[in-house]
Amino acid sequence: MNGLISLFRRLEGPQTKGRGLLFWSVFMVALIGAIAYPMFSDGYTVGNTAYFFVWVFIALSLCLIWGYGGALSFGQTAFFGIAGYSYGILTLNFGAAYGFTLVAVLAAVAIAAVVALLLGYFMFFGRIEGVFLGIVTLAVTLMLERFMAQTAGPDWRIGAARLNGFNGMSGMPPITIPWFDGPIVLFADVGLYYLILALVVVVYLGLRILVNSSFGNVIVAIRENPERAEMLGYDIRKYQLINFVIGAGLAGLSGVLYTAWGQYITPSSMGMTSAALPLIWVAVGGRSDLTSTLVGTLVVLAGFQALTIYGSQYALVVMGLLLVLTVLIAPNGLVLGAMNVIGRLVARAKGGRN
Amino acid sequence: MALLQLRGLNKHFGGLHVTNQVNLSFETGEIHCLIGPNGAGKSTLFRLILGEYAPGSGEIFFAGEDITTLKSFARIARGLSVKFQVPGVFKGLSVRQNLEIALQRTRHGAELDREIDRLLAFLGLEAEQKQTAGNLSHGQKQWLEIGMATSLRPRMLLLDEPTAGMSPEETFQTGEMVKRLNAEGMTVLAIEHDMAFVRQVAQRVTVLHLGQVFAQGSIDDIVADERVAAIYLGQAHHHA
Amino acid sequence: MDIATFAFAALYQFADAFAFLVLSACGLAVIFGMMGVINLAHGEFIMCGAYVTATAVHAGLPLPLAILAGALVSAVVGMLVEFVVVRHLYERPLDTIVATWGLSLIATQGTLIVIGSTMAGVGTPFGSFQVGAYSYSIYRIVLFLAALGVLGSLYALFNWTSFGVKARATIQVPHMADALGVDTRWIYSLTFACGAGLAGLAGGLYAPTMTLVPTMGATFLMEAFVTVVIGGADVFLGTAPAAAVLAVVKSVMTSWQGQLFGQIGLLVAVIIVVRVLPKGISGFLLRERT
Repeated sequence: MNGLISLFRRLEGPQTKGRGLLFWSVFMVALIGAIAYPMFSDGYTVGNTAYFFVWVFIALSLCLIWGYGGALSFGQTAFFGIAGYSYGILTLNFGAAYGFTLVAVLAAVAIAAVVALLLGYFMFFGRIEGVFLGIVTLAVTLMLERFMAQTAGPDWRIGAARLNGFNGMSGMPPITIPWFDGPIVLFADVGLYYLILALVVVVYLGLRILVNSSFGNVIVAIRENPERAEMLGYDIRKYQLINFVIGAGLAGLSGVLYTAWGQYITPSSMGMTSAALPLIWVAVGGRSDLTSTLVGTLVVLAGFQALTIYGSQYALVVMGLLLVLTVLIAPNGLVLGAMNVIGRLVARAKGGRN
Repeated sequence: MALLQLRGLNKHFGGLHVTNQVNLSFETGEIHCLIGPNGAGKSTLFRLILGEYAPGSGEIFFAGEDITTLKSFARIARGLSVKFQVPGVFKGLSVRQNLEIALQRTRHGAELDREIDRLLAFLGLEAEQKQTAGNLSHGQKQWLEIGMATSLRPRMLLLDEPTAGMSPEETFQTGEMVKRLNAEGMTVLAIEHDMAFVRQVAQRVTVLHLGQVFAQGSIDDIVADERVAAIYLGQAHHHA
Repeated sequence: MDIATFAFAALYQFADAFAFLVLSACGLAVIFGMMGVINLAHGEFIMCGAYVTATAVHAGLPLPLAILAGALVSAVVGMLVEFVVVRHLYERPLDTIVATWGLSLIATQGTLIVIGSTMAGVGTPFGSFQVGAYSYSIYRIVLFLAALGVLGSLYALFNWTSFGVKARATIQVPHMADALGVDTRWIYSLTFACGAGLAGLAGGLYAPTMTLVPTMGATFLMEAFVTVVIGGADVFLGTAPAAAVLAVVKSVMTSWQGQLFGQIGLLVAVIIVVRVLPKGISGFLLRERT
């Protein structure tokens, strides 16, 4: 019981913006709004909204690794793709009966995490850092895209699953939950929306606890000054590796949900452009804060969706501009900047009352 | 009894011997100052002791254990601790969080909070605890880092120019702090240029020159040694 | 196949891989080595060079001049980019990567909007020659010679010209160079232009060998990355030997298992090398020297 209370105490702390009654009231209102939303909309629209939430996990993973840990990982989309393909391969082979899709979700995330463990071992124990980390992870991502893009031939199959090269893999079953009066199949509408929303809430709160824990303390310490952190007795390579693996698992979760949502995955989901998008959400939102990243991701995605009416090329040009301008003008992120302003205003209002 | 022993320590970069056959022994409970002109190899010696460099040859023994091949963090865990020359605090984090990160490896829960409060009082940084460490004055940063280094309760504390950039008054206070820590049982090894500080704290002084042990003794012995004066003068000459 | 033709085939493969690695990487390496900045729009400068070259050829310019035009235009664009974006981020090298990635996105998608999804290519000149049962492209030999030429010119530029000496002074001790009256901003600007121009040159040289699409830069990017990662910060002590080593890996793997495994081999080699030599080959060589 005590342990549980101290865990909840970590929901607030120096590493996360937002605390106190006001913040959590806003949080609850937003949550209730999100829960009530499907009652005022149709299944198709709700399914599209679920698609936005799918991307939250990969954004939060980049926030954790880059914003908190200071390690620039461009490889998040690689883990996204690995998990997505793994889910496809597993479910196309073993089907959706007996709740196997749930096992496949976990297994796919685990596969992404194991790949991250291997890659991360070489990188962090080789002590490469800074820009090199970025380009090694990006090189891995580009390599994976190229590899998957050439798997078009009929030879490229794993069991019953054809990899299908550039066109990607499709036809895998959606997530299916076994139930007493027949399994519940979560197609891209209300059911899947609630599952993903629940995961978003759990992951967001879980990460708040993680970054405010003693583990989170060490992670930000490594970002601030790795030498000092090591000279306080921390094996920083281990902390970096664990953080990287957690991030890869989250990126993998996005990949699995994406694949289950649309029942397809293609190599271009690991390409240069796909790899840039999470970077944009996180940079524009505010990479050093989970809440800013979460809000920024949803806002930018909504904006992107609105712009694609004019063609996805135009939307991507705007995204590129947004990224360049953010880095030049508001390097800490737009949402985070706004939250800091609100925080100051609230503090001043309180000060005025006292 | 010797707490830290360096046996035949060599480190060279290409043809340049930065430390050359260094044999040194630091006794439990002493305050030992390491002096020498620029380029004498003092900071390299620290990096060797801390495991940031691997020696070309030679051995390092700490409390009787061979630590030559141990990684830095493992040496810290065995009771070494360091304060760097350039203040190594976590600039973007609050003063309190800096101390928390230093302490949380060994202390938890309410005990952790109590210990942080005690240290803040000891360092005179209670009023600044919520400030970002990057906003502290230079002297305060130095103290904060000394506080972090000592909070590990090390058996031996390494200080690399602890008073660099401090006013004479701050230097004196730092010296008193070092003596207090020593009185509590901490062995101290300091690199220092400020002779007033060395005189204030050092029980023994070692002079390094060109990567080798040049002289050793009490501060009075060293000051009286004409050869030591000569290498410092030579250096001054060189720079002029 | 007798020994001589086999040896020639292996040599040809190696030269081809070496040229591709050197030409892909040197623009990136010059900017990284001199400025500590990774230019993620590198691929788009290559694309720019290729597009300008093709346009110039269609307009009637002979190929060599068209390639030079491609390099020149890329250099000018590079200077512009340095002035508008990169200049403001020297204190934040990680942010430079992010910003140049944004530029890359703008350039790829912008090209797609303005020019469309493909552009008419340029025929490969010179034809081919026969050794044993196999025929080889003469142009690939030209590319290899061009790679050697680029390395030689860079060596001359940074060692024998006043720009090169000033540039190296600027990297080593920026404030000293400032004090000596070297305009460091101008040096950075020229260096960035030089790197972009080299990327453009690579694009121009390879324009006759590939289909021209807005995303073609990505084809070069991985090779450029791995060469720079393994090479480290020095163009001559790093990029050239790294390209040589990687070319062996790539050509052996390619002739054994095909193009794709050549690339996978590269990546695996890189990941293993970073574990052993974190600062790259040049870091390793320089450590032994200083």
